[in-house]
Amino acid sequence: MSFLRRNLPGMLVMGIPLMWIALFMLLPYGIIVTYSFWLKKYPTFIPAFQFGNYITIFTDPQYVRVFLRTLKISVLVSAASFLLAYPFAYYLVFRCRSAALRTWLYMAVIAPLWVSYLLRAYIWKTILGTEGVLNSFLMSLGIINEPSSLFLYNQFAMVVTLTYIFIPFMVMPIYTALEKIPTNLTEASADLGMGPWRSFWTVTLPLSLPGVAAGFTLTFCLSFGDFIAPFLVGGPDGNLIANVIATQFGAALNWPLGSALAIVMLVVVLTIVSLSDRMERKGMTGGV
Amino acid sequence: MAAIIELENISKHYSPTIIGVDNVSLTVEDGEFVTLLGPSGCGKSTLLRMIGGFEEPTGGAIRLADKDVTFDPPYKREVNMVFQDYALFPHMTIGENVAYGLKTFKLDKDTVRTRVKDALMLVGLYDKLNQRPQQLSGGQRQRIALARAIVRRPKVLLLDEPLSALDAKLREQMQIELKHLHEKVGITFIMVTHDQTEALVMSDRVVVMEKGRIAQEGRPQDLYDHPASPYVANFIGTTSFLPGKVSALSGGVATIAAGGTQITAHPDVTLSEGATVTVGVRPEKVKLLAEGETADNVFEGTIAEVIYYGLGLRISVTLADGSKIDADTLLPDKLSHSTLPQSGAPVRLGVAAHNVFVFEGTVTP
Amino acid sequence: MTIKKTMLGTLGLLALTASPVLAEGTINVLTWEGYADPSFISKFEETSGCQVNATYVGSNDDFAPKLMAGGGVYDLITPSIDTTKLMIDLDFVEPLDTAKIEGWNDIYPKFLALDGIQKDGEYYGMPYSWGAIAFMYRDDAFDTPPTSIADLWREDLKGKISLWDDKSAIYVAARKNGDMNIYSLSDEQIAAAQKTLVEQKPLIRKYWATAGELVDLYKAGEVVISNTWAGYQSSLLADEGVKVTEFIPKEGAEGWLDSWMVVKGTPNKECAYKFLNMQLSELGQCGVANVNGYSAANASAAKSCMTPEQFAALHQDDPAYLDSLLIWTPLGDRFEAYTNAWNAVKAQ
Ligand SMILES: Nc1ncnc2c1ncn2[C@@H]1O[C@H](COP(=O)(O)OP(=O)(O)OP(=O)(O)O)[C@@H](O)[C@H]1O
Ligand SMILES: [Mg+2]
Repeated sequence: MSFLRRNLPGMLVMGIPLMWIALFMLLPYGIIVTYSFWLKKYPTFIPAFQFGNYITIFTDPQYVRVFLRTLKISVLVSAASFLLAYPFAYYLVFRCRSAALRTWLYMAVIAPLWVSYLLRAYIWKTILGTEGVLNSFLMSLGIINEPSSLFLYNQFAMVVTLTYIFIPFMVMPIYTALEKIPTNLTEASADLGMGPWRSFWTVTLPLSLPGVAAGFTLTFCLSFGDFIAPFLVGGPDGNLIANVIATQFGAALNWPLGSALAIVMLVVVLTIVSLSDRMERKGMTGGV
Repeated sequence: MAAIIELENISKHYSPTIIGVDNVSLTVEDGEFVTLLGPSGCGKSTLLRMIGGFEEPTGGAIRLADKDVTFDPPYKREVNMVFQDYALFPHMTIGENVAYGLKTFKLDKDTVRTRVKDALMLVGLYDKLNQRPQQLSGGQRQRIALARAIVRRPKVLLLDEPLSALDAKLREQMQIELKHLHEKVGITFIMVTHDQTEALVMSDRVVVMEKGRIAQEGRPQDLYDHPASPYVANFIGTTSFLPGKVSALSGGVATIAAGGTQITAHPDVTLSEGATVTVGVRPEKVKLLAEGETADNVFEGTIAEVIYYGLGLRISVTLADGSKIDADTLLPDKLSHSTLPQSGAPVRLGVAAHNVFVFEGTVTP
Repeated sequence: MTIKKTMLGTLGLLALTASPVLAEGTINVLTWEGYADPSFISKFEETSGCQVNATYVGSNDDFAPKLMAGGGVYDLITPSIDTTKLMIDLDFVEPLDTAKIEGWNDIYPKFLALDGIQKDGEYYGMPYSWGAIAFMYRDDAFDTPPTSIADLWREDLKGKISLWDDKSAIYVAARKNGDMNIYSLSDEQIAAAQKTLVEQKPLIRKYWATAGELVDLYKAGEVVISNTWAGYQSSLLADEGVKVTEFIPKEGAEGWLDSWMVVKGTPNKECAYKFLNMQLSELGQCGVANVNGYSAANASAAKSCMTPEQFAALHQDDPAYLDSLLIWTPLGDRFEAYTNAWNAVKAQ
């Protein structure tokens, strides 16, 4: 009794978050896992324990194809975000002399996070459309003679839109990682005879890798689970895994298959996260 | 000996009001151990960083072995720097850190290995070859930083407060080690410190800086015995200052009215009779006179305060004219209260004539 | 004691905020946009004393998941004729007391004969409005108007074609292949339709998912030919000044019918039946015809409240037109084969 009384505050402090996790994370996953073994049967589905749904996912080429496509799009989005975000963050941390300008630029990249996702995706629709801003611009420059339909409703448009939407998640960790690198390390590298490029390759880049890994993980996982961009700017070949899952839970009324797809997707994402976590931790032992 | 570094009217003005270094000229001989000494913010690091190539001067020229390097980037200069917090690469092993500076030399593998080994042996840490900087103590990191710089066999080694991150014991030990290292490798060392003991212990020559300029430079003992200004006198060692007036001059000897008495001194500067001066006396040169004992100069006063500082006592004495003077004395053989000087007791203090500094004017440091 | 009280209070509050107001005199309808338009619902609310809360669906696929999530929220729903059977089989709806519905016998007999709204001799759905899944083209893009489904496979229209993102794409492709039994396709016929759709994919600009999306696609000049909910998107486009023409291809068009169904165990039966009566009356029938451009299910009500032009335009007294439509039919356990084929096309 006295034990209880003494430990009650501690139990509450630990217990409430644990219950929260159990209730809002483990329970839903448990339900999804359970469903994934059930059987589709008109009009809905019936409890069962069988691996048919998983077998379908790995044998029916349509699911493998969508998984691969989603993987491809996510990798492209992460890579594009990285290629844009790294030089930008590098400029902010090492080259931008004015603190005011730095804050301003940083906010300019981060601020869109406060704007609705849908609105930001719609913006790209108006930019990339056949009668959109990009086409008018290119025509006014005389680069093209008639509007091109190559920019919208295809995988290119999805990569562009997703990159735009998720790039803050690449900029932030890289910026933080670069900012943490002591300037005297790059000075030491120069002092030891390395020119700026070699210093970058041998010191700055390796030391910022934990940030890059975090950025890749975030943008990859966010793109991997996206289903709005395919809907808004994707073309007929734009179906991603999250769209397929949504269809299984909606139109197809096949929750068991949808659940199995969600579990496979979760496994992919968790694998990526743990890989990058290991990389970050490795970076940490090399960290400052 | 030839000059290895020549600074010619070097200035670094960060802005019209923020002046890091102001019109400094300095020549460093090959193989010398020179220390830049001064209080925080006096421009030591800025000067060192300009030699290393990390800052561009706003005026003047820097020559390294007769070659103008004023605007060369660091990686084109044959000087190396030991950074204050060592700046070891955390993502590399000790061996990789030390070998890093050899990459540009395009040496074969075996040469690199032996040179890294030699450098690490020199600092006694060859067994840490495959460890990471984080696994080393502060003193060990310090030595790795040294090895990493020395392995390149630079013409000049720059050290920015290399020992300031170490505890007092280790610092003393490293001072000696660093000095021995300097003797062993024969490279020119330019070190920055704000610790006067460090400067005196280690260097061939000390450059005392004040507000971006050189206040005085010279051998440690010369600075100690012949400070050019109250600033230097107080920065190298401790000095009590008394206002005075020249009452007579004859030959190299001056008679000065100070501390309520007439004292004799051998000033380094030429004075005129009746001039207002400041007299400086180092506490360790002041002797508590026993009954009947006498000296060149004798001050009389009362003890204001007695401070015990381990090795001895510092006694603060108020003189007849109200000015104050400190005297250091070793502890008596038997430390008991009865034999310790007491506050309020009258004392007589003796100072030899050649231990009295005389500075022009009434400057108080 | 006090804790118990607070908890009860909190639970009560939760119940209040979690679901629309459940009080007698208020009915919650899950329906299509326009089906509870204020232009005619306000009047009903005034005269009947029943309040109407409408929640809108974007597709027939929304009904089942919304009702599965937990009962007691909605009183009335309007699934289309391919989904009504599912609602009955899922036991989500209850039989109608047709005696309580005035004008029941004025409903087109063809609709009352449909299987999808009845079971064991009882009616579960009240036919409400109907139309065709017609085809539509942009006038300025064609010198000779298209007449066939095959026009949606024309190479020269590459990147200008759209198709509804729905299993009905299988129906379209099957007809193009000459299979007119679109609601009872064999596995081979479905596979052939799937193949035909995959061939069409490179020509498709975008599969449209919502009415608004199709309107946007035409408006932005992205698309010149597609299928459409006859009467609806074309009138929206006319409002935007985009000239489009609907047509029934020579391979025929599907027809759809929306029916009102009463959710099982509704506590608001009285208002629900008042509402059904209103919807089948001139008020409801012309209400939806005016708002959505759909045809009415009650022949006599339509006759008395529509202008002759509207009456003709909506094919209200055109048995031949009605008969030409391939009215959607529940697919039952073939449903999965159709959706799976369509998903496979999209995955391609
Ligand atoms: N990057 C800079 N921008 C502006 N002012 C600077 C900059 N670096 C140094 N200063 C200024 O120049 C002066 C000299 O600085 P410096 O770092 O050389 O001092 P220091 O003698 O090394 O002092 P410490 O013992 O504290 O290291 C200081 O007043 C400092 O504020
Ligand atoms: Mg400094």
